[in-house]
Amino acid sequence: MSQPPEPILQIKDITKIYPGEGKSTTVLDHISFDVYKEFLCIVGPSGCGKSTLLRIIDGLDKPTSGQVLFHAHPITSPSPKIGVIFQTFALIPWKTVLGNVLMSISSASIQKEEQLKIAQKYIQDVGLEGFESSYPKELSGGMKQRVGIARALALQPEVLLMDEPFSSLDALTAENLRREVVEIWRDPAYPTGSVIMVTHNVQEAVEMADRVIVLSARPAKIVDDVKIDLERPRSPRDPTLYDLADRIISKIS
Amino acid sequence: MHVPRPSLRKRVASSLAGRTVSFLTKIFLSGIAAVAIVALMIELLTGGLTPNCQRNPLDPLCIPGYAVRTLTRMTIAYVFALAFALAYGIATAMSHRASHVLLPLLDIFQSVPVLGVVPVVFLIILGTGTGTTPPPELNQEVASIILIFTAMAWAPTFGVIAGINAIPTDIKEAAHAYGMRGTRYLRQIVLPAVFPELVWSSILAWGGGWYLIPVEEHLSFGQPPNQTQVDLPGIGRYIALAALKADLGLALFGLIVLVGIILAVDRLIWKPLGVRAEKYKYETVAAPRTTATRQSSVVAGVRRYEDRLVSPVLTFFKSERYYAARVLEITRLKRIRHITERLRFPERITRIPLWGRLLSYTIFIGLVILGLIVTIISRSQSIESGISLLATDVTAFELVVITVLSLSRLVIAYAIALSWTLGAGILIARSQRLSRLLVPIFDIGQSIPATALFPLVVILLVDPFKNSPYLGFTLNLASVLLILTGMQWYLLFNIVGAVNGVPNDILEATTAYRIRGRRFVKEILIPASFPAILIGSIQAWGGGWNALIVSEYIGPNANVPGLGSFLVQASTRNPALATVEIYASLLVMTATVLIINRLVWRRLLRKADRYKFEA
Repeated sequence: MSQPPEPILQIKDITKIYPGEGKSTTVLDHISFDVYKEFLCIVGPSGCGKSTLLRIIDGLDKPTSGQVLFHAHPITSPSPKIGVIFQTFALIPWKTVLGNVLMSISSASIQKEEQLKIAQKYIQDVGLEGFESSYPKELSGGMKQRVGIARALALQPEVLLMDEPFSSLDALTAENLRREVVEIWRDPAYPTGSVIMVTHNVQEAVEMADRVIVLSARPAKIVDDVKIDLERPRSPRDPTLYDLADRIISKIS
Repeated sequence: MHVPRPSLRKRVASSLAGRTVSFLTKIFLSGIAAVAIVALMIELLTGGLTPNCQRNPLDPLCIPGYAVRTLTRMTIAYVFALAFALAYGIATAMSHRASHVLLPLLDIFQSVPVLGVVPVVFLIILGTGTGTTPPPELNQEVASIILIFTAMAWAPTFGVIAGINAIPTDIKEAAHAYGMRGTRYLRQIVLPAVFPELVWSSILAWGGGWYLIPVEEHLSFGQPPNQTQVDLPGIGRYIALAALKADLGLALFGLIVLVGIILAVDRLIWKPLGVRAEKYKYETVAAPRTTATRQSSVVAGVRRYEDRLVSPVLTFFKSERYYAARVLEITRLKRIRHITERLRFPERITRIPLWGRLLSYTIFIGLVILGLIVTIISRSQSIESGISLLATDVTAFELVVITVLSLSRLVIAYAIALSWTLGAGILIARSQRLSRLLVPIFDIGQSIPATALFPLVVILLVDPFKNSPYLGFTLNLASVLLILTGMQWYLLFNIVGAVNGVPNDILEATTAYRIRGRRFVKEILIPASFPAILIGSIQAWGGGWNALIVSEYIGPNANVPGLGSFLVQASTRNPALATVEIYASLLVMTATVLIINRLVWRRLLRKADRYKFEA
């Protein structure tokens, strides 16, 4: 038997309590799991703290107790090796598509021309060639999220975090973008090994993920950890996916 | 099917007008009732005011009486301003054609520096004094109330228009479909929509009124033989008299009392009203007495409308986790929001057809000429002699030079105001602790009318240098400082509002992609405040012009050349020339304000759209 691989991220005993007047609210209750080179989805009922967990993994939020290890080093602030994609796109309205993509790499110590080259490459890869000098206001929702994806990929991150990346989009656009994101992740030319995606859409999770972590309602605990060993590329209409989704939904409710 | 359109329309119009009149009458009557109560209070409170306070007007014991007198003036002026705002606002919003004239006219009116109107109104109402007998106190009171009215009327009018414009189309259509017309439409749809806007704009209106108080209660025009004296008991006169005696202690005392009253009115009246408006409680409007189906659909529609207006505010508060928005009171934030609402008007005005603009300018010029004639008749002078005297005494070149001098003072004050408020706004946004410390201080600071600081500046910067060669410098310094106090708060609170309004997801993205420190300020905070800086600048320049008028002329031996001192000196120089000079300088000022607004701010505002976050 071969040695198990080193985990890329280790989430260790994370608890998050929001202090309130009188009584405090526990959002995350002793969450632990390891992340390997895989596409991981975290699902759970809305308001259970999935997004908080994702923010803690990126260092945007601090846990009340526990820690996140990235290659065995604790994370306290956002790392240049981790890219984030937001539900609401979080594009800066006064920057062009190129400016928004450059935003992620401009704090790295790379030459200006090199930065431009990288940004342009990823804008092409997400299919936004020709829109470099457009402003976010001029783009559709799907195109905006493509900018968000290009911005995260331009960092050439080892880990990609996605917070409900498709839930602000219409169904058709979301389906296309889901397929493209999986394709990009599977493309060996990209350095991104792990993807952690938070969603409340179970169908979406089973379609995209290698593994689904199921959280309970607040205070969130891990109630299931489901491996999904289906051939890729997968069809969203595959009946096996429906069965898996039903199993997970029954765990949540 | 034949529809009797004209008669129906007529009926609707007549009933709308009728209901408007009855509504205004109600307001008017309750205003009179309020005044009666206040007058009774005066009698009770100031039994001793008349004999003792006439001999010794600076007696601190007279302060309660003065406060009641000043507040009464403000209240009466406010009732009139409210009635004007509703009538003008409803007329503008209801008739598309009328709005083409009424809107640009309103824009011109609000560009006239209120303090410049002071001599005009006093000259029209009081005429030239006879030297020995002061004008009747009633006339003085009327002039004073008219002046406060001109300072109060414009903001609520814009508020009413903004409120009616904000009624969503589906509500209008629902109301139309269910036969809500005329009075019922006015009472159930228009007035509830207008109420919150009216509250926010009333806060601005009272601010404008307070601004006049230290100036207009104690004044004199003309030279001793033909002097017109204005001397009205009130807090403003108290401060003015203390300054004349160069008594720093009493001037400070009066200032503190004034600020206390302003803060009390703010907390006791505007803050509760603001909270009420925030909740959109429509109980003031009677429930419609119609069939159940009609009622439910309209009520549901109104409720949906409420949600839509309130939810951005709620979302704002919910998303406020990093920044100390809670420290800023609801009223303050709403004030900023309200001011931002007014951003729409410049855009609307540019879409107004040429005939509307021309007609509105003609009406304005007509009003000015009418005022000129009335003033001149009351002073028994001929217009030709006045204009020819103006032509020989003052050249166009001189007017241009003093305008440039005044403009340079405004530019310097604006540069100082912009740099410190931008710094402070950024500090407040980035440090919760600093914000908790500074915001209450700024809040009190902005509630001090800039004009009330005038006596303090005179006592500290002008009197000690009366006979020194540095007088010219300290006078210019005093002028710039006073203009600064009239400018800075508009900028500060607009910037703080904008910096607080940066959405959470943008903040998280900048943190996630490690944009910090100077880059964060340069790439995020400053662009995000750009539209707010523009709106703040338009207001700041309005406030600056007002402050300019009082800041340049302190006395016959202490003044700096400029439009402000030209205006004030006009009333003390050649009496035959005075009237024309006052009107000339007022027109130059208004024209400069309008030209700068059009050439600079509105042009920039059109570019500011990119810097707004999507809702």
